[in-house]
Formats: sequence, structure tokens, C-alpha cells
Amino acid sequence: MLIEELETIAFLARIEIKENEKEKYLKDINKMFDYIEILQEVDIADLKPTTHVTELRNVWREDVVRSCPKEIIDMMLNSSPDREKTFYKIKKVMSD
Amino acid sequence: MDEILKVKADDLCKKICSGEIKSLDVVKAYVARIKRTNSKVGAFLKLNEKKSLEQAACSDRKIESGEKCDFLEGIPIGIKDNIMIKGESMTSASKYLENYVSPYDATVIEKLKSASAIFIGRTNMDEFAMGGSTETSAYLKTANPWNVEYIAGGSSGGSAVAVSAGMVPFALGSDTGGSVRQPASFCGVVGYKPSYGLISRYGVCALASSFDQIGTFSKDVRGSALLASVMIGKDYRDSVCEPIEQINYVNYIDDDSNLKMLKNVKIGIPKQLFNYRMDTEISENFNKAVNKLRFLGAEIIEIDIPSYKYVPALYKVIMCAEVSANIATFDGLRYGYRSQNAKNLNDEYAKSRAESLGYEVKKRILFGTYVLGAKNYHRCYNQALKVRTLLINQITDAYRKCDFIFSPATLQVSVKFGETLLEECDIFLIVANLTGLPGITVPSGFTNSDMPVGVHFMGSRFSDVKLFQIANAFEKISDFDVNKYPEL
Repeated sequence: MLIEELETIAFLARIEIKENEKEKYLKDINKMFDYIEILQEVDIADLKPTTHVTELRNVWREDVVRSCPKEIIDMMLNSSPDREKTFYKIKKVMSD
Repeated sequence: MDEILKVKADDLCKKICSGEIKSLDVVKAYVARIKRTNSKVGAFLKLNEKKSLEQAACSDRKIESGEKCDFLEGIPIGIKDNIMIKGESMTSASKYLENYVSPYDATVIEKLKSASAIFIGRTNMDEFAMGGSTETSAYLKTANPWNVEYIAGGSSGGSAVAVSAGMVPFALGSDTGGSVRQPASFCGVVGYKPSYGLISRYGVCALASSFDQIGTFSKDVRGSALLASVMIGKDYRDSVCEPIEQINYVNYIDDDSNLKMLKNVKIGIPKQLFNYRMDTEISENFNKAVNKLRFLGAEIIEIDIPSYKYVPALYKVIMCAEVSANIATFDGLRYGYRSQNAKNLNDEYAKSRAESLGYEVKKRILFGTYVLGAKNYHRCYNQALKVRTLLINQITDAYRKCDFIFSPATLQVSVKFGETLLEECDIFLIVANLTGLPGITVPSGFTNSDMPVGVHFMGSRFSDVKLFQIANAFEKISDFDVNKYPEL
């Protein structure tokens, strides 16, 4: 992986990386690339991918809203780093 | 050490319920033990002294008045700090969740509350359960109670130490790639990871959702069986939970019949085991264990699972991919840490995460983001999922020839702080996560320098009853003395 690729994935993952950290990340992540290579040697053209081991299929439930006690709503709102009344307050989404 | 602390979990339940021992005396003794030893081993992040004593008094009153005892009436239990208890802090050992208070109970906590268990404290762990030594915790260093210069293992290191050092009769952990069973083995206690889908993960901080399971720590197999019995069952809030019959595993544990069972059991040992470098004392101890099982009638069979060699790679690729998706939820908007240095929204995400997450967590997110990228998805992630299918197929074939797959729990004994474990150290544990199978580690002896070693039984899916039975049988013939505690 090159430094430009590291910068791209860091942006996609929304993690700021400082200049002086880049070398360490590059070294460690490039080492992990061996894992990807090892898996290429297997011939598995006719196998289906396994995302989950469970054989359950389509776990349905009724699409009904369950009420949430006010006490819990308050607790969740109180956990927010910044809020106004019952809204989470964040930086502006659209630029000027 | 106070004698009351040596009473095993299952006996403790019976003695509290019959009124022979007071829950208050039990909790007081454990609180005192934690206060005296925690500074040496760093097992607990938080102690709930006042509330625990109140609950214990409440259980005692209930018993005195002749009311029916609940399943874990007045028994203290340690909870890994990534499981939510309503109204209590939960940090997952990360700075990101430093001031977080859980707004609801995890399903397992709901179940333990209805069983009248007492949550005596929160145990230390690797940050977001990412690590195998409890060294990535943002708060505390956890040491092995058998020798405090050695690591406890991880990620559920705090829970393993708490049980091992007699600070609690049993504890909960989570196991994504051996995170219950590896520290259990390093610390000389029983560690159990159930079949995938047996216990609900609702309210547990997710790491890699297709591997994660809640697991148990106890001094003996019976203790883990007892604790697991309270927690199993379907939950509409964790859709991978299978509808299964509610059973009490303890009813299937009987020393005589479990030992007799060995006569009809086929135990498979992967021939790949001998491809790896193993500590000599672990290898000797394992051979002894195999001979004991054979002597009692078990048939020992060699099995061939060539794709074991892909296990570390498979685990890293799939786990990191799932980590990058799960940890995306920590964006600093609705709860947790928010950077005060950001200029705009994207900057706010990036700085909040950069400033509050540890290096190991960030590295895994970045690698996971790479393998899931549109350009790399097929070659990296999808390829890994297909190799996972190959591994599952080979394991399924192996179970046509044997009932259990048996191996040392780890290929190395615990190491000193700062030293790194070999990559293959716990691959025989990780296989259970990749394939969704139940696994249990049982202590099997000590090295010459008095460090515990253990063995691992892995059963077929939902064979958890049989797994407890063979583990109990082995415990009875093991060289490890369950009544021995580390001196602290």
C-alpha cells in the first residue's frame, strides 16, 4: 500500500492520521497484506462465500413501533456530547 | 484466603439457598478480596460495593422469609466492561466511551437479573475487545495472578483473572477469536464459548458480528454450565439467536456417568497440530492428557484439516472487515467522545475517532476499510468468505469421524509483558469462531515454573451439552488442582 492509498482509506474510515503516524500505519498494514496473499493460493472457484454460520433464513418480525419510556429517551439524550432540546447538535452538514 | 471464597459456584448457590451461608457474608468476603488484590492484578475497572451489599441483604431476607430462591440467588458475578447494565457506565476499555452510561440492559443482564445474580464489578479488557493480552485497555494493566510479571491473556483478561484469583466465583466475557478461552487457559480457569446463536449478544459492544459470542469463566466446568443455563435462548433483538429448548446443563453433569461416557467417545486430533512450534511443556502435558483419555476408553483418531493453515489469515481479513463496519457507529455525534478541535462535520468524525480510539483499533478499522473497498472486495473479503466455507466443509467432514476435536488450548504458555505471542498461539481456539462451533478450555496442569496450561475441546454445532460432559470428565482426571489458588 502506498501513502496515497493510506490517506484514501483513512478518509473513508473517517480517522485523522497525522504525518508522523503514517509510516507506522503503512508498515503495520502492509504486513497484514500477507494475509490477503495467502488466501489467493486456494482454488475455491466453486464454493459459495459464508457470511454467517447460522442456517436461519429471513428472520421476520412485525414492523411495529415499540414505545420507549421517557426515562430512557432522556438518558440517551443526556449521553450526547452536545444537544439542543430533544435534538443532537452537530457541525453544519452543508457548506456555505 | 477466606474459606468461603473457595466454595465452587454451584455449591455456593445451594448453600445460600438453604440458608447455610449468607449471601451478605459471601459478597463481603469477595469485596474484601477484590480490595486487597486488585491493585496487584488489575482485574476490575469498577467495584459496585454498596449496591452489591444491598442486593445481598435483600437475597438473605428473601431466603429467611421462605420465598423461593432464584437460579443464582445472591451470587456475585464479574461482568466484562463491554456488556450493558442499565444506568451504569460501560467503557469497553476505550477513551471513546469514558463517560457513557448504558440506557438499557443487555439481554444476558436481564436474564441474570431475573436469576437474582449480583453484579459485583466491571472487569478489564482490551479496548473494544481487540487484542489478546488486555494490554490495549485505555485504563488499566491486568496481570496474571500466577505470576504478575506475565500477561493474563485477552481480550477478557480481567474476567479470567477475577475468577482465577478468587475475586469472584464466575464471570462473563466475550469471545470473538478465543477472547474467553485463551485468557482462561493462561490463568488456569474454565473458559466456555457457546455455539454461535445460543446466547443473545443484544447490548454487547460488537466486534465482529459473525464470530462474537458471550462466554463464561469459572473455576470448574459445573460453574460454566450453571451460568450458561441462565443465559441461553432466542431473543428477537439478536436475529442470529436460534430457537432452542431451555435446558439446565448442570442436570447433565455427573462425574461417574460423564467418565463412563468416555468409553463411547471418538476424539479427533488434527494432524496439522504437529506442524506448529509448541512449548515443550505444553506438548508433554497434552500427550499426557491424550493418554489419560485413551486409558479411560476414548478412541483417539487422527483427523486431517488442511485449511487450518489459512486460519490466521481468514480471521484477520474477515474480523477487520466486520470491525470497520461495527466501529463506524462510534462517530462522536450521539454519544461518546467528541473532539473540540473540529472545523466541519467530516473533521468532527475524523478527529473524534482519531483522538479517542487506540492504535490497535484504528489499524484494524483501516485494514478492514481496505478489504471492503469496491476495488478490493472480491479479491480480499469475498475470497476470505469462500475459504471460510472450505474450512467449514473440512471440519464438517472431520465430525463424521469423531465427536470432539481436541488440542492444547494454546501452543504457548503466557508470556511476560511486552513480549508478543506467536501468531499461531491460539489458532485452535479461533477455528471455533470461524465455524460457529462450541469450545471449552479446561486447565490441565502447571509448568515447572507454576504457570497454568490447558486443553481445548471443540464440539459440533449445538452439542454444548456433550461438550460440558466431556469437559467435566476431563476435569476429573486433569493434573490441575481446582482447589489451588494463586498466592497474592
